[in-house]
Amino acid sequence: MDNSGKEKEAMALVAEADKKMKSSQSFFGAMFGGSSKTEEACDMYVRAANMYKMAKNWCDFQPFLTCNVFFLAAGNAFSQAAHLHLQMQSKHDAATNFIDAGNAFKKADPQEAINCLNRAIEIYTDMGRFTIAAKHHITIAEIYETEMVDIDKAIAHYEQAADYYKGEESTSSANKCLLKVATYAAQLEQYPKAIEIYEQVGTHAMDSTLLKYSAKDHFFKAALCHFCVDMLNAKLAVQKYEEMFPAFSDSRECKLLKKLLDAYEEQNVEAYTDSVKEFDTISRLDQWLTTMLLRIKKTIQDDESDLR
Amino acid sequence: MSSDFEAYEQDFGTITAELTNKIGRIPKLSGEEKTQLVLNVDKQLEEVRELLEQMDLEVREIPIQSRAMYNSRLKSYKQEIEKLEKDFKRSRIAYSDEVRNELLGDEASTSESQRAHLLDNTEKLERSSRRLEAGYQIAVETEQVGQEILSNLNSDREKIQRARERLRETDANLGKSSRILTGMLRRIIQNRALVFILGAIILLTIILAIYFNLRGH
Repeated sequence: MDNSGKEKEAMALVAEADKKMKSSQSFFGAMFGGSSKTEEACDMYVRAANMYKMAKNWCDFQPFLTCNVFFLAAGNAFSQAAHLHLQMQSKHDAATNFIDAGNAFKKADPQEAINCLNRAIEIYTDMGRFTIAAKHHITIAEIYETEMVDIDKAIAHYEQAADYYKGEESTSSANKCLLKVATYAAQLEQYPKAIEIYEQVGTHAMDSTLLKYSAKDHFFKAALCHFCVDMLNAKLAVQKYEEMFPAFSDSRECKLLKKLLDAYEEQNVEAYTDSVKEFDTISRLDQWLTTMLLRIKKTIQDDESDLR
Repeated sequence: MSSDFEAYEQDFGTITAELTNKIGRIPKLSGEEKTQLVLNVDKQLEEVRELLEQMDLEVREIPIQSRAMYNSRLKSYKQEIEKLEKDFKRSRIAYSDEVRNELLGDEASTSESQRAHLLDNTEKLERSSRRLEAGYQIAVETEQVGQEILSNLNSDREKIQRARERLRETDANLGKSSRILTGMLRRIIQNRALVFILGAIILLTIILAIYFNLRGH
């Protein structure tokens, strides 16, 4: 089958490249064309890595573990190539190879992938290419989100990415990252941060013709976070948003907020549940909203039982 | 003369009483009896009209002094007859209503059909309100999708602007590099020309040296 053939080829290439490396480190090699030898070795590593990746595509019929092995091998080959490029002072190529290594490792060994991506980001920030560095911060953050569930680190990376994007004046990409930070922060109960982000994004969205229809959504989320902290805050916040953005008061979300505030004041859990249910029938509440509203509801119930 | 008039009055009284009775009965009857009764009433109305005309003639023959009283009586009789005719007409309209009911089903089943009709209406109303709700839901979903699309468009717009800027920079850089390359090319040509000239001079000097050496011998 093609599969084993490619694998053997790839292994052969890697062996050859290793030999070339060793030979170039000896005296003569360094004198008479060490650089060309390292370049060739680099090339061979890259080709070998690509062949490992091709072998992966053919091994879909086999159990999952062996496929991972190919990715590991491919990733290793790419990082070897990247190190060589670093030696040859071609930073750009080194960074690209690190990225390729990172992508290959993503499916096999997330930690290793994160290492490679971090090194690539270092190189890019050295060169001053912050946009690409930001994009890879996002990739790392996604890995933390999905494969290794470490929300704090993910938040840190998203924040870093947003800072870089802001530095490069791409506010829309920065806002995208900030929104993710805010969602996670609110889930982890870091309300002030979330509130600040949502208000900032909301005010920015108000002014843009394209984004003004999303502004009410952001204000709604900000008000909910206020609500989780303290009811009076929420009331003041809602008034402030209505002043800033008159269209907000017509939206269904604002009406829901007012009903929830009233239900909270009267400590009436049923009214709260009813208005939430009514809103749900029209547009389903997603995961984040359900969590937030549940928290607020629990505070009402706790208050009720306290009074009793 | 007045006795004639009074005889007429008595006739008038009986006939109007009969007429009132018959007109009252008309709506309650149906079919053959009704048609006969209607014809009857018609005939009696004709008779009453003739009576009234004769009474009129009589009144004119009465001396003027007592005419006023008879005139007023005549007027009231005429009004009575007009009222009877109106009633008759109304009862005849009721007559046509009866026939409609006969055509469209009789009294007992109407209430059932009405109930079914009402239930049908309620169901239709419920169905349309459900459809309206679904339509509203779809509108809200469309709005959300629209929001996402708009934010995507915004970020794409920024990307395109950045790409354009970079393209302009690249263009300028390419221009600069092409100028540098032409400069390098020129210098290479200059160097090569210099090397040739120097080589020629050295050759010349060597040849001259050998020549003078040979001449010296």
